[in-house]
Amino acid sequence: MRESRDRIYPLDNRTASHMFANLMAHACICFRVGMTDQGNEIKMNVAPPRFGSKSLVGSPLRRKEDDAFVRGAGCYTGDIAKENMLHAVVVRSPMASGSFVIDSLDEALAASGVKLILTAEDVAHMSDLPAMGMRKGPDGIKAPYRNIPVLCRDKVRYVGDAIAFVVAETVEQARDAAELLEISFEGAEAVIDTGEALADGAPPVWPDADSNRAYVNTLGDADATAEAFKNAHHVTVIDFVQNRLVSNYMETRAAIGDWDGERNRYTLTVGSQGVHGTRDIVSRILGDDAELRVITPDVGGGFGPKGFVYREYPLVLEAAKRLGRPVRWVGDRTEHFLTDAHGRDNVVHAEMAMDGEGRFLGLRIDLTAAMGAYTHQFGVAIPWFGVTMSTGVYDIPALDFTLTGVFTHTCPVDAYRGAGRPEAAFLIETLVDACARDMQLAPDEIRRRNFIRPDQMPYRTPGGRLYDVGEFAGHMDRAMENADWAGFPARLETSKARGRVRGIGMASYIEACAFAGSEPAFVALQDDGTVTVDIGTQSNGQGHATAYAQFVAETIGLDINAVEVIQGDTDRIAKGGGTGGSRSIPLGGVSAYRAGEALATKIRKIASEELEASPDDIELSGGQAVVAGTDKAISLADIAKAATDPADLKAEAEFKQDEATYPNGTHICEVEIDPATGIAEVVRYTIVDDFGMTVNPMLLAGQVHGGVVQGIGQALLEQTVYDETGQLLTASFMDYALPRAGDVPNFSFETRNVPSITNALGIKGAGEAGTIGAAPAAMNAVTDALYRAYGVTHINMPATPAAVWEAIRRARE
Amino acid sequence: MSKMQINITVNGKKQELLAEPRELLIHVLRERLGVTGPHVGCDTSHCGACTVDMDGKSVKACTVFAAQANGADITTIEGLGGPDGLHVLQQMFKEHHGLQCGFCTPGMITRAYRLLQEIPNPSEEEVRFGMAGNLCRCTGYQNIVKAILAAAAELNAAKEAAQ
Ligand code: FES
Ligand code: FES
Repeated sequence: MRESRDRIYPLDNRTASHMFANLMAHACICFRVGMTDQGNEIKMNVAPPRFGSKSLVGSPLRRKEDDAFVRGAGCYTGDIAKENMLHAVVVRSPMASGSFVIDSLDEALAASGVKLILTAEDVAHMSDLPAMGMRKGPDGIKAPYRNIPVLCRDKVRYVGDAIAFVVAETVEQARDAAELLEISFEGAEAVIDTGEALADGAPPVWPDADSNRAYVNTLGDADATAEAFKNAHHVTVIDFVQNRLVSNYMETRAAIGDWDGERNRYTLTVGSQGVHGTRDIVSRILGDDAELRVITPDVGGGFGPKGFVYREYPLVLEAAKRLGRPVRWVGDRTEHFLTDAHGRDNVVHAEMAMDGEGRFLGLRIDLTAAMGAYTHQFGVAIPWFGVTMSTGVYDIPALDFTLTGVFTHTCPVDAYRGAGRPEAAFLIETLVDACARDMQLAPDEIRRRNFIRPDQMPYRTPGGRLYDVGEFAGHMDRAMENADWAGFPARLETSKARGRVRGIGMASYIEACAFAGSEPAFVALQDDGTVTVDIGTQSNGQGHATAYAQFVAETIGLDINAVEVIQGDTDRIAKGGGTGGSRSIPLGGVSAYRAGEALATKIRKIASEELEASPDDIELSGGQAVVAGTDKAISLADIAKAATDPADLKAEAEFKQDEATYPNGTHICEVEIDPATGIAEVVRYTIVDDFGMTVNPMLLAGQVHGGVVQGIGQALLEQTVYDETGQLLTASFMDYALPRAGDVPNFSFETRNVPSITNALGIKGAGEAGTIGAAPAAMNAVTDALYRAYGVTHINMPATPAAVWEAIRRARE
Repeated sequence: MSKMQINITVNGKKQELLAEPRELLIHVLRERLGVTGPHVGCDTSHCGACTVDMDGKSVKACTVFAAQANGADITTIEGLGGPDGLHVLQQMFKEHHGLQCGFCTPGMITRAYRLLQEIPNPSEEEVRFGMAGNLCRCTGYQNIVKAILAAAAELNAAKEAAQ
């Protein structure tokens, strides 16, 4: 039986004490700047404005985008059929490692409907897919990238590696012809497990290198950490595997290539996470002088892996150019499993040095991160994001982190919802629970003793991050209250009476969002009095069209339906940074708001001339400019007509942020385990999050729910399994367990917002937080249950029924 | 391959076409008839994105050959609302934020439409079980369940009022 409550969304539950904390934080800045933070001047913005109770920003407005979606009128790339369109399929490697020769294409080329087959020779003029973000190793040298060729030349390095691209009149014909390619393969030994990549005699993924080590990065102060360990009263050690995940957005990837010879111009239609980045990278790969326009229609989920450039994008364009017809490729679910960037996959050893009171003195981490067979777009950088967040919400004086990236004959690994930060939160939060067990302290007590206190803010972590504000103990207390932590013993007894075991676990996570950067927004008043917002982030389902409209409508006194948000077209939008790292609302939202304010000022000026009043007396509301306290008014449509210079109807803004923002909070999970079956059921789940400022509580709750279920999925269900030869055993929904409606409970969710002072509107970002808090909370609950009942101290993710049952059986022996 | 003559009714409209024996209903709907509401989310009948209503039953259109649908009456998401309005389920999905990217939504709503005829007054557990064939990666299901329960309540109230 599930027991969770479904809370209503609190509109704005910032209490006086939060505002006070905010003021205090400012006081600290004044004190800290130039005083304690040697050499690093801390730059922070002023307190964010507060939106009133009648304001659109902060209200649970229903989404503008939904009417089309609920009617089945959404338009995703695979829904688009162009006149005269051809269809493509990719011929992929059936083996994880080996060399190949294409003996003949003749039969395939002669097959019915076939128009073109591209192989490596045909794309020799293109560059490989570029990876980025490599950092210098301890030796001061950057390790080389191992970029993905558009099509494999003579070697394959994982099952699914692309060999040829077949284009035909229909998908069926292309598929039939793909079977007719004559290719001779010579297989070689493969290395699959991340933990075995560096073993003696491991088959090399890149034979010209001396090992499968992709790179080594270190962070922290090894000497200071060694000293902390020397002085420790106790050292707690954990070893675990951070399981490999597949993002599984419900819309598989798809791409349509078009070529306009007259204008020497390609058009790529693709579900992306930002058209500008996609355009720049695909252009670089194509390497010709033609222009490239990228269009992104509706996107059926992104979660990181849809943001990258994949081989099919230059291939549909090349095929379209050669054939003079549009070419569409739609990936199937198996291809998604085989070749869309995977997530996570670390092997971790971590040690915490503590004093006699359970205070943390030093943290040492040795983490091996899977790269897969190549360096994927941001793949080498993702684990590093986690490294910098490894001390979490705790005041740990010394850190010594060694990160080793390794190659294996598997699908490349890159960002997946949270990208490094879920790995970091999982590491520290499960380590802290292990510390609590060793020191015989309650999980909340050990956290309380080690939290960074509000009066220590702003706080520079040993990982180099600068936290601006945070009330970690306050959030934990509130979550414990909401979860009725105190009532757990009684619930445990009830479970026991039913022959079940029960556990409770928490995670006090923090993450970094909206990494330093900016995102411009362009607004314009249209002839009909509506306003458009052009922006280069990309909704993948988060509801950006509604959220941005709230900001702009607020400033111009419009209904959100009178504000149209335009995204996903490089012809229309001058520039943009795309969506990822929960950056769209913290950066784009502020820009949209400021652009709206700038446009409002221009509108007031025109209105004041038309109405012969001072601009200060003009109020904008209900689509009109009104002279305050009178019935003199002019509609925005008439203002658009009255403008003499079109520039007076346009405004833009680009908010830049120098630091990340740091959402945080506490998740509490309660599980009940049936020892007979090993099934762990999540029976209660409580979330208290600090997102700084809430733009739309309904959208926010949606982000949190979905994120939490992805985290619970990782903890209890999801696992990517290759066999020892590198065949992907979990290549469909038959074998990879995605959470279904019956696998998860309702959630109790509340915000306890402490506005960010790094972000101009106080916003911290919320796209990934749910996933980040959930996996450690769920695993701490499972471990707690198994520890109470059987003394089991560790179980790897996913805690599937088989794994739990096995852990119980072993403990009983 | 020799083609077969298929007669189907889709959202009240009679359709006649020639289909290959291996052609799936989902492809006929999407590629031949331009009915792109139902989506393809997998290749193993596990995601439910393609769910349509066929002769009063929920079916996964990726698992039905066009030939098997010969003579059938099919309703897709496009046929659920009246010409001038939304079905209660469509309204409730909007009202309770039962969708994010919207890709699973046509299948979800079409399945829920049949579920509420199978069980007009379902418990939360019955909804979660009854929707188990439909995957959503975005919402975490809570608001989908809420929307379906709200739609059931509304439909039942309307029924009572009519009696
Ligand atoms: S497409 Fe997945 S069940 Fe039909
Ligand atoms: S709303 Fe995106 S898959 Fe359900």
